[in-house]
Amino acid sequence: MIRFEHVGLRYGIGPEVLSDISFTLEPGSFHFLSGPSGAGKTSLMRLMYLGRRPTRGLITMFDQNVNALKREQLSSIRQRIGVVFQDFRLLPHLSAFDNVALPLRIQGKPEKEIRNNVHELLEWAGLGEHMDSLPDTMSGGQQQRIAIARAVITRPRLLLADEPTGNLDDDIGLRLMNLFDQLNRMGTTILIATHNQQLMDKFNHERLILDNGHIQTEESKNWIRRKIEGVF
Amino acid sequence: MGFFGEDKTLGITRQKRRYDLPLNRSAGANFLTLLIALMTFLALLALSASFALSAMTERWSAGLENRVTIEIPAETKNGTLLSREEVHALTNRVNSFLENHPTVKTTHILTDNEIGELVKPWLGEDMLLDKIPLPGLISMEIQDKEETTLDALQRKIQGFAPHARIDSHETWLKDLLRFTGALQFASALLTIVIGLITATAIAGAVRARLAVHHEEVQLLHLMGASDNYISRQFQRHSRILAFEGSVIGAAAGMLALLAIGWSAGEMEINLLPNFHLSHIQIATLALLPFIAALIATFTARKTVFHTLARMP
Ligand SMILES: Nc1ncnc2c1ncn2[C@@H]1O[C@H](COP(=O)(O)OP(=O)(O)O)[C@@H](O)[C@H]1O
Ligand SMILES: [Mg+2]
Repeated sequence: MIRFEHVGLRYGIGPEVLSDISFTLEPGSFHFLSGPSGAGKTSLMRLMYLGRRPTRGLITMFDQNVNALKREQLSSIRQRIGVVFQDFRLLPHLSAFDNVALPLRIQGKPEKEIRNNVHELLEWAGLGEHMDSLPDTMSGGQQQRIAIARAVITRPRLLLADEPTGNLDDDIGLRLMNLFDQLNRMGTTILIATHNQQLMDKFNHERLILDNGHIQTEESKNWIRRKIEGVF
Repeated sequence: MGFFGEDKTLGITRQKRRYDLPLNRSAGANFLTLLIALMTFLALLALSASFALSAMTERWSAGLENRVTIEIPAETKNGTLLSREEVHALTNRVNSFLENHPTVKTTHILTDNEIGELVKPWLGEDMLLDKIPLPGLISMEIQDKEETTLDALQRKIQGFAPHARIDSHETWLKDLLRFTGALQFASALLTIVIGLITATAIAGAVRARLAVHHEEVQLLHLMGASDNYISRQFQRHSRILAFEGSVIGAAAGMLALLAIGWSAGEMEINLLPNFHLSHIQIATLALLPFIAALIATFTARKTVFHTLARMP
């Protein structure tokens, strides 16, 4: 289970970009994280994949208090999380195959298993012809699919995807959403940051809405709306 | 089992595993290889010099261990010169006394020609032996070289040959041993310094790589890589690089040794009598690349762990 309690984050001496964030993601749940650009979606995910420590509040990942973790314990938690970065962060000197294989190698999986799994996933993602290509020679959409494949190849317990469908045309976007669904049915907790209203409308998942560093659930939004309607 | 749970065997064998970080693609790597080659070359020469020195001192001290020389000078205390015959007579008397002495094992009177051979290097080829007053020299081997024994012997000999001197070579040998000992210490020190320079260079290169690939390293961390995983990449890279460089350096060093040995033979320099390494010594020199690889691996590991500990 993942829980945030009164979490705040500021970068350096800047203002708080996340304030008093509290929510819980149950195991196996599927959420969209939405909100306008600059609302703090990427920052929130950064906290979840332990890319940064919160400046205040309590974060619990897989029932462990993140603030109390020692350096050596970080890697075992991170290995349970798959991340699709907004800017992909593929390693430019590694082929598509090696990029996707990387998390499995980090986890020390046998090469044969790695080969089979990576081939199968890349074939499925329509990149069978590009296994040995370097990322820089590929289109934005192709790079994004590699980034997604790398995030899911380990069947993580938590998948964080930061605007994963931004560069994909609808057909492939849908296909990847189905991949996320499939993972979710196998038990992966999923959080997808997006401001694509169409996408959210097409799938009926709960939404976490970030606005100016504060989180609002659908209920609280409705509650505010009702309150406002009641006043006028 | 494939990703979607289907069993599928692909007949494609993939190329040998690459580094997760582009460690093997930089001009710095070539420089480091060259440096390590050079360091190994120097270490090899320093070590073999040390081996040669120890062989030399061993030979010298073994030859002199139980040897004592007795000199019967041609000139007496009051400055009169003894004739050659007188010197010979005196020498023979001393010799026959020694032959019957219990602590003396063997004796040998050096002939004038032998003495001439000894002084030739100092006085030149064309000196006339009969023009200079040669001393009488007896080389003998004794049971034990105790100072008291030698003193007693000297006193007895001086009873009938007052100017005879016993030279046990002790002080000369001590000086020589001290000198070669200092040289050996210097070459050991040099070898250690070479090792330290190598380690420092490797540590510097690893730190530079970590700085250049900071983002990639961080990404590996975020994917759950431990410091150990990242370190292994640097260890492997440093090990291969050091081994290659060191093999080149060691090969060049061996060639240099052969060349030195050959030219020494050509010039008939007897200062380094048969500059020749034993099998064990050659094996030790051949170990240098492995030692370099070990130093590189260890240094890379220490450096990576130390540097990463200061990364978030
Ligand atoms: N690394 C950073 N350093 C400083 N400020 C940052 C950094 N990343 C994001 N911010 C700031 O935090 C706020 C939230 O950004 P971000 O989390 O990227 O929002 P979103 O992903 O919803 O667009 C923005 O004002 C942005 O300028
Ligand atoms: Mg963002």
